[in-house]
Amino acid sequence: MSSLKLDHLSKHYGEAVIVRDLSLEIANGEFVSLLGPSGCGKTTVLRMVAGLIAPTGGKITIGEREITVLPPNKRRIGLVFQSYALFPHLTVFENVAFGLRRQGVKGSELEKRVKDALALVRLDAFGDRYPRQMSGGQQQRVAMARAIAPRPDVLLFDEPLSNLDAKLRDEMQIELKRLQRELGITTLFVTHDQAEALSLSDRVCVMAHGNIEQFAAPEDIYHRPATAFVASFIGKPNRLAGKVASRNGAGGTVEIGGGVTLNADRLDVATGGEVELFLRQEAIELRTTPTEGPVNSIPGTVQLRSFSGAHVQYVVRIGANTEIVVEAPSSGAASNLEKDASVYLAVAPANVFALAAAEGARS
Amino acid sequence: MNESKPGLTITSIALLVILFLQLPVIVVVLAAFSSTSYLTIPPQGLTLKWFAKVLSDPVYLDAIRISLTLAVGSTVVSLVLGVAAAYALFKRMLPGTEALTSFLMAPLILPSVVIGVALLQYYSLIGWRGSFAALLLAHVIITVPYIVRSALASLAGVDMSVEEAARVLGANGFTAFRLVTLPLIKPGLVAGALFAFVTSMENVPVTIFVASAKQTTLPILIFSSVEMGVDPSIAAVSTLLIVATVFVLWLAERWTGFHRFI
Amino acid sequence: MSNWKAGVLLFGPLALLLIGVFLVPVLLLAPTSFHEYAPGVGIVANSWTLENYARIVTDDYYREVVWRTLYLGLGVTVSCLLLGYPVAYLIVRGPARLRLPLTLLVIFPLMLNLVVRSFGWIALLSNRGLVNNFLIQTGLIGAPLKLMFNLTGLMIGMTHIYLPFMVLMLVAALQNVPRDVEAAAATLGSSRSHVFTSVTLPLTAPGIISGSILVFVLTISALVTPRMLGGPTYKVMATLIYDEYMQLLDWPSGSALSFSLTVIAIAIIWASSRITKRWAGMA
Repeated sequence: MSSLKLDHLSKHYGEAVIVRDLSLEIANGEFVSLLGPSGCGKTTVLRMVAGLIAPTGGKITIGEREITVLPPNKRRIGLVFQSYALFPHLTVFENVAFGLRRQGVKGSELEKRVKDALALVRLDAFGDRYPRQMSGGQQQRVAMARAIAPRPDVLLFDEPLSNLDAKLRDEMQIELKRLQRELGITTLFVTHDQAEALSLSDRVCVMAHGNIEQFAAPEDIYHRPATAFVASFIGKPNRLAGKVASRNGAGGTVEIGGGVTLNADRLDVATGGEVELFLRQEAIELRTTPTEGPVNSIPGTVQLRSFSGAHVQYVVRIGANTEIVVEAPSSGAASNLEKDASVYLAVAPANVFALAAAEGARS
Repeated sequence: MNESKPGLTITSIALLVILFLQLPVIVVVLAAFSSTSYLTIPPQGLTLKWFAKVLSDPVYLDAIRISLTLAVGSTVVSLVLGVAAAYALFKRMLPGTEALTSFLMAPLILPSVVIGVALLQYYSLIGWRGSFAALLLAHVIITVPYIVRSALASLAGVDMSVEEAARVLGANGFTAFRLVTLPLIKPGLVAGALFAFVTSMENVPVTIFVASAKQTTLPILIFSSVEMGVDPSIAAVSTLLIVATVFVLWLAERWTGFHRFI
Repeated sequence: MSNWKAGVLLFGPLALLLIGVFLVPVLLLAPTSFHEYAPGVGIVANSWTLENYARIVTDDYYREVVWRTLYLGLGVTVSCLLLGYPVAYLIVRGPARLRLPLTLLVIFPLMLNLVVRSFGWIALLSNRGLVNNFLIQTGLIGAPLKLMFNLTGLMIGMTHIYLPFMVLMLVAALQNVPRDVEAAAATLGSSRSHVFTSVTLPLTAPGIISGSILVFVLTISALVTPRMLGGPTYKVMATLIYDEYMQLLDWPSGSALSFSLTVIAIAIIWASSRITKRWAGMA
C-alpha cells in the first residue's frame, strides 16, 4: 500500500492542452475521486497513472517509486474499466487469475487467491462461467475482483458504474465503498457523476479544462465551492444574471431585476459588476410567510408542481418574470402547494454563489 | 403479400443462375468418373481409372506436393508478416496509416500478370530465377493483402481496452497480444488464412512467369496440359481439388463459423 | 518514442519485402518498356524509344486486342449484373432459411480453383464437349457450334468466373436498403416495378458501381480463363503480354503493354472512387 503523487503532470496533443500542470497527492489508503464533465481531462489523468498514455511533462510517484516512464505492466496498478474489459474468451476464474499468473503465482496458491478475490465480490460460485453469461452487475464485480486479486498498490476506476442502471448503480456504490474500506487500497476514482463522487470519496478533486478547480472533502466541495465552475457544476443550481448593488465586507448585495435583491456571504466582484448567480434547487426553502433576519426572502408565485417520489419540484416565478426551480422534500411542510399559491423563497446568504459573469460563462 | 418479396419469375431466374454457377463443377466431377475420354449425357460408364492414373503419376504427385508446400509456406509467412504489419497500422504506431494500408493492398489492384512479368524480369536480373524461396516470396506478395485485410477487420471488432487491461494486469505488450488480442481475432484470421491459402493454391499468372520447370504447381500443370486437349485425368485431379476445397471449407466452418467472415 | 520504434519493428519486415519483391520489380518494368527490341538479339542496349507504346495505339493488331479486352470487360460486367441481381435479390429478400445455402452455393465456385473452373468450361464448350454433343445427339444441329476460341466462349466462361463477386457486392448493397423506404413508396401508391426502379435500384447504385468496377478490372486483367478458353490465337491484353514474354521474348513490347493495362485498371478504380465519393457527399 502506498500513496500516489502527481507532480506538475501535463498532457498536450500538439496545440491542444488536455491536462495542465496538475499536482495532486493521495494519501495511503485514501479514496479520491476525479470529478468533472466529459473532456475535462480526468480520464487522461487516470490513463497516465495507468501508463496507457505517456505524459508530456511531470512526474508520477507511487510511495517511493517513480513510475512516470514505466510500462503499465510494471506499475502494480489495478484498473477497472468503464466497459469492464473482461477477457471474453476466458472464464471468470481465468480472468481473475490473469494478473496473478503474470506474477508467477500458480497451483494451489493461485486457486486460493482467485477464490478469495471472487469471494470478496460474492461471486465464488461463478468461476466456470464466461463473462457473456453474466449480468452487467456481475461483470462489474468480476472486473473488480480481477483488479484486486494481484494486490495492486493503487486502484484506478474509470467511470466503472456508468453502464449500470440506476438501482444497480446504488447497490454497487455501497459495495465498492465497503470493499475499498476493507482492503484499504489507495484509490483514484474517475466519474462525471457528482453524487457518486461525493458519497464514495474521502476527498473529491473537481476538474475542468485540464485544471484542478477544487480538491477538498465532499462537504467542502458542496458547501464551500471555491470557484465559479464548482458552484455551477455541483448540485442542481438555478442560474441567474445579476449586478452587484453594494458591497459589505466579504459579501454584498446583488440585484437580479424586478427590484429583487439577494445577499451573499461571499462576493468577489466590485459594485456595478455583472455577475452570475447560482442558487441550488435543494438549498431554497419554500415558506408561506416572509422570513425576518439575514436570510434572503423573495416573494413569488408557484407556476408548476411536479411530484417525483422523495421530492416535489416547483417552478416559482419571482421578480420580473424570472423562473426558479425549487426542490422540496415531499415529507416537508411545503410539499403540497398549489398553482398560483403565493410563497416566499428563503435562501441563506451562504448558499448564494455569485461569480463574475464572464468567468461563469466559461463553463 | 409483402411488396418486396421476390416473385416467381425472379426466383426461377435466380435459381437457374445458381445452377449455371455449379455447372462446370458438375461436369468436371462427371468427367472424372466417365469411362470415355470425352463427355456424353448420360455418361457411358463409371470408372476410377483416371484417379488411379493421377495418383500413380509422379508428375501429378510432384505438382501436388509443390503446390501444398508453396501454399502452406506462403500462408504462414503472410500470417506472421501481415498480422504484425496490420497491428502496427491498427494501433497507428506510424504516421500515414492510410497510405501505408493502400501500399499493402497494392498487389490486389495491379493485374497479376503485370506482377508476374515484373518478377520474371527482376528475378532474371538478380539471378533468383528457379529459387524456391523467390517463388515463395512472390506468393507472399499476392497472399498477404488478404491477411492484412482480415486482420484489420478483426482488430476493428475487438474492444482494445481488453488489451490495456492485460497490460495493467502485468502482461508485457507481446504477452497481452498473444493471450488476449490474438485469440479474439483468430476467427477472422482463419478466414483470411484460408483465402490466402486458396489464392496461393490457384495462382497461375504470377507462378507461371516465376517458377522453373522443376517447380510446376498443380494449376500450372493443368493450365499447360489443357493445351494438349481435354484429358480425363485432368478432370480427376480437378475433382480431387474440389473435394479438398469442400473439406477445407467444412473444417473452417466448423472451427470458426467461417461464413460470417465472407 | 517507443511506439514509433515498435511500429517500425512490426511494419518494417513486410514493408521491406513489398519494396524489394513488388515495388522495385514493377518500377523496373518502366525502363524496359522504352527499350528497342531486335528479334533474335533481344533488348538493344542504350536504345530509347517510344515505339512500344506507339504501336499499341497505331498497330491494327494491338488495337484490336486492346478493344477486344475492353468490350469483353464491358460485356462480362453487364451480364454479371443482369444475372447477379436476381440472385442477390433472392438471397436478401427470399425466405430466410434459404439464405445460408444459397450464399454458400454462390461462394463455393469462388473458392474452387480457377483452372478447374475453366477446365470445366472447356469440357462443356469444346467441339466435342458436352453442349455440342448434346445438341448433335438430339438432332438440333448437324455440325458442332463454335463455342470456344472466340468471344462467346470467353463471355460465358468469364461471366461464370466473376459472377460470385458481383452477387456478393449486390447482396451487401441490398442489405443496406431499408425496407421501410420501400414500404413507404408502396403505401404512397407505387406499383411493384415502380418501387424497384424508383427506390431499390437507385439505393443499390453504389453497390452496382463497385461490383461493376471490380468485375470489369478483374476481367481485363485475367490471364488464365482467356488463355484456356481463347487458346493461343484469340488474344486479350493479358494473354498477349504472356506470349510476348514467354514465346516471343519481346520484353519491351510486353512491358509497355503491361504498363498500359495497369494504367487502365488504376484509372478506372480511381475514377470510380471519385464518383462514389461524390455520391456519398450528395447523400
